[in-house]
Amino acid sequence: MTWKSQANAIFRICYFNGFLALRRSPILLVAIVLTPLSFLFFLYVIAPRSVLPFGIVGGVMFTALFTGNGMMNDCAYFRLERQLQQVFVSSPLRPLSWILGMALSELAWTLPALVLFIIVLGLVVPVGALTLLALVGVILLTWLLSASLGFLISTFFRQLREIWPVGTVVFTSLSVLPPIFYPLAAIPAGFRWAAFVSPSTYASQLADHAVGLPVPTISVVPLLSSIPVEATGMVLLTLLFTLVAMRLARWREP
Amino acid sequence: MDALVARSLSKMYRGRHRTVPALDNVDMTIAKGRLFAFLGRNGAGKTTFIKISSALLMPTAGSVQLFGVDVVDHAREVREQIAIVPQEGKPFYHLTPREHVEEYLRVRGASAETARTRADEILEGMGMLPYEEIPAMVLSGGLQQRTLVAMVLATEAPFLFLDEPTLGMDPFARRQVWEVIRRAARKGSTVLLTTHYLDEAEQLSEELAVIEGGHVLYQGEAEALKSKVRREVRLQFGYGFTAQELASYGEVYAERNGLTLLTTRNHVEELTRRALERKIAVHIGPVTLEEAFLTLVGRAIEDEDPGALA
Repeated sequence: MTWKSQANAIFRICYFNGFLALRRSPILLVAIVLTPLSFLFFLYVIAPRSVLPFGIVGGVMFTALFTGNGMMNDCAYFRLERQLQQVFVSSPLRPLSWILGMALSELAWTLPALVLFIIVLGLVVPVGALTLLALVGVILLTWLLSASLGFLISTFFRQLREIWPVGTVVFTSLSVLPPIFYPLAAIPAGFRWAAFVSPSTYASQLADHAVGLPVPTISVVPLLSSIPVEATGMVLLTLLFTLVAMRLARWREP
Repeated sequence: MDALVARSLSKMYRGRHRTVPALDNVDMTIAKGRLFAFLGRNGAGKTTFIKISSALLMPTAGSVQLFGVDVVDHAREVREQIAIVPQEGKPFYHLTPREHVEEYLRVRGASAETARTRADEILEGMGMLPYEEIPAMVLSGGLQQRTLVAMVLATEAPFLFLDEPTLGMDPFARRQVWEVIRRAARKGSTVLLTTHYLDEAEQLSEELAVIEGGHVLYQGEAEALKSKVRREVRLQFGYGFTAQELASYGEVYAERNGLTLLTTRNHVEELTRRALERKIAVHIGPVTLEEAFLTLVGRAIEDEDPGALA
């Protein structure tokens, strides 16, 4: 198969596993938007108004990170329960095309929620074309990072029962504990560097930068609060997760 | 050229306390364009063989070549030539049978026109046109299995691996699938299928292999397998004889309504006379593939563990 055919295959997978699934099960959309919207509601009720933009950007980032959770679930499910990964990989389709097709379909599921949060953001802070462009860039980076991590984790599962506890631990640690829904400044100055242990912190700080929200300096490692370092960190982590996932992926069992 | 050549193929699964051999030094050759059936009990090694041959599992030792290409070293080239129905695979829950076939073909690089034409053919051939627009989640288990088989057979790939393709299908559906499999072989695909339905193997295969405990016990035609067990006739007796009385004539096993004896023609007259003298009902027929299979595998199990069938 040529590169063009591989690209076409990726979009076909996105079409039938993303858009068609969403069209036939709209409840998926509600499920995706419900958690970040709930967090935002709590912030609206209990936090000062100045925190609200962080919560909305958090909603955008949470939704982008959710693609990793979906990727982990779907890839494990299609490999272990449906055995469809085997059907698709035993074909001219390249394994990487299967991963990209799946990742793109996860993004398709989250698109309506992302658009919703960006519209809400536009009601609270000014969102110009450049801001929007920067935000879309951060979303795409976050999607790649999260999807590669989700696929990597899915390769470790040997049975479906393992998915939900592992998924809950990993994606709660990534999307709720780090400063996604709250400003990094809320963490005591001496400990802010610790938030960067989580890859999602790079994503949320970049998003805050993109929207023009105040981002504090990191006292111990000041470089962490610079845009190039955060962006490079995300790209490197994405590459690392993808490479390890490709190596560990059970295209062929040992 | 041979489509598949396996040499000294072995696969060991490492358990907690011991290593279990799934395949032990297997040699096998499948000619191009053949419809080949792989028979064996659960856990005999059939699926392991299919997984290794389709580049889904690494062998512990030995080699498999598909159309002259090594499956371990050149998995990508091998995958271009194959399509597989995995054992107990299931379709996407939200797609219709037509979408399964068309989308899978398009992912494999077929044009929209080709995908549509082949979907028409395969869905009609498998009797699935009435269900073509129904999402798989509301289809019965048998129809879901037919959907999976349809999407794979529609590929017309040079080598088709079908691991229990008719599992859970009704007898009518099975026959429709058989016909589509035959059609794929006529178009030039080599087909390797596993099945627990011996009638399916007998109806479909041009050649078959019997595997037990990771060893190939037999490879050849079904008729030759029947003669290999050196029993030509099946005598079914109603209640009256004991197994010990009949054991010296051949293979005896108990069934719901009495005993069945697999024996040679020269014993038929004597045994039917004895049965009639004791007013025991007797039915005579040829040995089936199932009986040949049971005899062959049964002997292999007895050889390995003399008490196993007691």
